[in-house]
Amino acid sequence: MEESGGCGLSLICLTASSGVPLYSRSRGGIGRQLPFSVIGSLNGVHMFGNNLDVLLTATSTENTRVVWKSFHDSINLIVMSSEVDSSDLYLNRLLDNVFHAMVLVVGLEELVNIKNVERLKKDLRACYRLIDSFLTVSEKSGDLTQCVDCVVPYDGPILQECLDAFTHAAESNFGCLMAAGRVVVATEKWWRLAAQEVMLLAWLVASLALNSSRDYPVYLPHGSPTVPHRLLTFQLVPGVDVCVLCGPTPSLQKVETELVERYWRPLQDPVKACLRVQLRSFPASFPLHQGILGLLLINREQKKGVYTVQAQQAEDKQQGVSLSLEQRRAALRAFYTLAVSQYFPSEQGDEKKGKAASKLE
Amino acid sequence: MKSDAPPIWTWKSRLRDAVLILALYLGEVGFCLSYKLYTARDCLNLGRLCVAERRGSGVMAAFLMPGSVIITDWHRSSEGKEFLSSIVRKNKRKFFGLIERPVLPPQVAADTACYKIFVSGKSSVGKTAMVAKLAGLEVPVVHHETTGIQTTTVYWPVKLRDTERAVIFKLQFWDCGEATLKKFDHILPACKEKADAILFLFSFTDRSSFDDLPNQISRVAEESEHIVKIVIGTKFDQYMHADVTERDLAEFQRTWRLPLLRMKSVNGPRLSDGQTLDGRAGLADVSHVLNGLAEHLWHQDQLMAGLVVPAIQAPKEDSLYL
Ligand SMILES: Nc1nc2c(ncn2[C@@H]2O[C@H](COP(=O)(O)OP(=O)(O)OP(=O)(O)O)[C@@H](O)[C@H]2O)c(=O)[nH]1
Ligand SMILES: [Mg+2]
Repeated sequence: MEESGGCGLSLICLTASSGVPLYSRSRGGIGRQLPFSVIGSLNGVHMFGNNLDVLLTATSTENTRVVWKSFHDSINLIVMSSEVDSSDLYLNRLLDNVFHAMVLVVGLEELVNIKNVERLKKDLRACYRLIDSFLTVSEKSGDLTQCVDCVVPYDGPILQECLDAFTHAAESNFGCLMAAGRVVVATEKWWRLAAQEVMLLAWLVASLALNSSRDYPVYLPHGSPTVPHRLLTFQLVPGVDVCVLCGPTPSLQKVETELVERYWRPLQDPVKACLRVQLRSFPASFPLHQGILGLLLINREQKKGVYTVQAQQAEDKQQGVSLSLEQRRAALRAFYTLAVSQYFPSEQGDEKKGKAASKLE
Repeated sequence: MKSDAPPIWTWKSRLRDAVLILALYLGEVGFCLSYKLYTARDCLNLGRLCVAERRGSGVMAAFLMPGSVIITDWHRSSEGKEFLSSIVRKNKRKFFGLIERPVLPPQVAADTACYKIFVSGKSSVGKTAMVAKLAGLEVPVVHHETTGIQTTTVYWPVKLRDTERAVIFKLQFWDCGEATLKKFDHILPACKEKADAILFLFSFTDRSSFDDLPNQISRVAEESEHIVKIVIGTKFDQYMHADVTERDLAEFQRTWRLPLLRMKSVNGPRLSDGQTLDGRAGLADVSHVLNGLAEHLWHQDQLMAGLVVPAIQAPKEDSLYL
């Protein structure tokens, strides 16, 4: 896109059938509101291909990469990026995350059977914060790796034990303790949710405004996309939330007044300590070579990851020689992208399907 | 009042042993008959308390003059400031997680009284904005419908007039989006469960939200006789574009006899970093609302405990908290 200029990223969501724009979000230099004509032609070219049984997936201009993705023949997402480190892998995963974030908040039914476009537009505003969090640079890697960002806490076993008991008392099997959008500990059942769901739930909680507690309806994109569950969140200290996923009972009031203090107040210190490991993701006692500035450690089986670009404790002393946080982030993400696209193609499940489909059918 | 505050109850039972005094008082607000288990000095203060009539439906509503239950300008005194420092540090409002609470200087002590307050009103009337303003958080400038229920805890230290005791009010606001409320059945019962107060919001700039108040009150407040009910007019800063006049309000109050507060939910000045909201300035904007809530909640507790008996009184026409 010549006219867009600068570097940035723009995301557009439209209905597949009629091409009505539902929303657009952006980061960086690309103007907040894309002209309607640009949106129209971007969608038009995709639709044109569609009518000829050609699935258009991606293209590049001189400085911009454009990726299209269609979901359930109902929602089209288009992303345009002029950022140098925007790989296809990243852009495809971004669109996948964005769509599933929409499912998480409004449910699949409303996205697949669009009855009232205006209503849908309004409802989708509830996803903006979550979607925008994917578009802002963060200390997390889940948007790229689609794995769950974890924190290794100081008192893991104590927190785990308390969480298990608390979740059980709240008549649920699904409980999770989060610090700034990363999982500290979670119950066994929580880990059995799809990795993307665990990741989305953590990002969702981190993206919401500061509140003491919430009773938030969520549609699990893979496990329960049409029947909502209740996500109860309780802010133990600012930045640390304990969450429970449950059905119609118990009430928010009941869990909050009867259980939260009883279970968590005795653990005030270990809970607060979660905030201290936040940037580093693991305790200071963990020995690490001086030369390591950042790291991304992924357990592919469990789809969990530990990610940090501030691996060293007392770092400011050697500030002069080290890379800026931004550069570290970019380097680590680029390395991950390269490794996955070159050496672990099986990780790319979605993208491969996408490419295959781009051939004439 | 919830379990959090047993010491207050022991204090109340002590009061019950006090002498029963019948006080008759003629004041600026009109004729007020009230008796209370209090000392003589308290009875003079009590004259400032006027309590409204019992309506046909059995709904009981109380009109309190500002300052009849608490000392409204206490926060400006040196003692008040000491208490305020537990919720404002370095001019910044403090936020507390559910397992934290304000820490008072060692030489002062106060009990905590917890209340659940349900914020009701049609979409975009300003529920979320009001709660954010009261909590000293950034007020959202664009309207996004609230999804599900979100609660916000606000601590507010108060000095009781009659006993000169300081009490920390822990006000927990329950806010849910109007659209969510219609979509999911469990939301309204959850918000009303054990609520101590319901706030009915209308917007000064939206006539229909004002006209809908009677509907809203009967829809939401059925079977909640002993709950504090307060009407709050939002977007009062947009007074120039007001769709609702003072006459409308007077008329409404004559019929409904509910206390009325006014709210300007706009972000106040910021600190020198240009980012952080000035905590003290923010509190000054909303102290009349927090005081008003505290007074009515405390008074209702006393009514329920039989420490105050309502008397018949026509409310003054003008609304009371400005
Ligand atoms: N100027 C001004 N604007 C306000 C005030 N209160 C709310 N607003 C604006 O009105 C809009 C709607 O406010 P919200 O608080 O989000 O509305 P709500 O009642 O929570 O709406 P739902 O969640 O949909 O039920 C926002 O854009 C606010 O900035 C106020 O006192 N003054
Ligand atoms: Mg709201």
